[in-house]
Amino acid sequence: MVSIEEVRQRIEQALPGARVRVGTFSGDDHFEAEVHAPQFAGKSLVEQHRMVYAAVDGLLGDAMHALALKTRPLEPAPHPTTSESRRRR
Amino acid sequence: MTQPTEQQNWTEQFEKDVKENHVFIYAKGEKNAAMCGFSHRVMQVFDQLGVDYAVRSIFSDPEIKPALTAFTNWPTTPQIFIGGKFVGGCDIVMEMYQSGDLQKLIEETKSAS
Repeated sequence: MVSIEEVRQRIEQALPGARVRVGTFSGDDHFEAEVHAPQFAGKSLVEQHRMVYAAVDGLLGDAMHALALKTRPLEPAPHPTTSESRRRR
Repeated sequence: MTQPTEQQNWTEQFEKDVKENHVFIYAKGEKNAAMCGFSHRVMQVFDQLGVDYAVRSIFSDPEIKPALTAFTNWPTTPQIFIGGKFVGGCDIVMEMYQSGDLQKLIEETKSAS
């Protein structure tokens, strides 16, 4: 049996800097994850999902019956100079 | 549907499946008889769009699942192919359906097959 926390940690370790939300639906072996990661930039949805699947390699199928995914590239934080120029205006 | 007898032949069969059918779905269960909610949802989308598709159930032979996972580098089912190309699983197809990208891809690949 795998916990929500374990799934979240696995994804965060594989994708440093990612914003990860994990939950379950229809029982405790159907997981859903929303992952916003800087590593997804320029990648297709298929590639993005493959990266998350790789993070939970070995869990899917046995401990995890399903992993519904919603992935998005994470925009980098606004550059400091941008807010500074805004202040000056 | 014909089935190869040896595992190495499955790759050839997959290539044939997706080449000969505009929309091809590897699912849990047969067409109109999905045995999994995700496979059911994907088939429903193509039904609603009025787009014909062929299905091969991964339960029809124990060799299909491992061969398919190796073929697409994708661990889950259903797996959807359009115009001979791997599109993704249930989440991606639902997302593309909602954004209209799925309908676009179907139109764009129509003449090719």
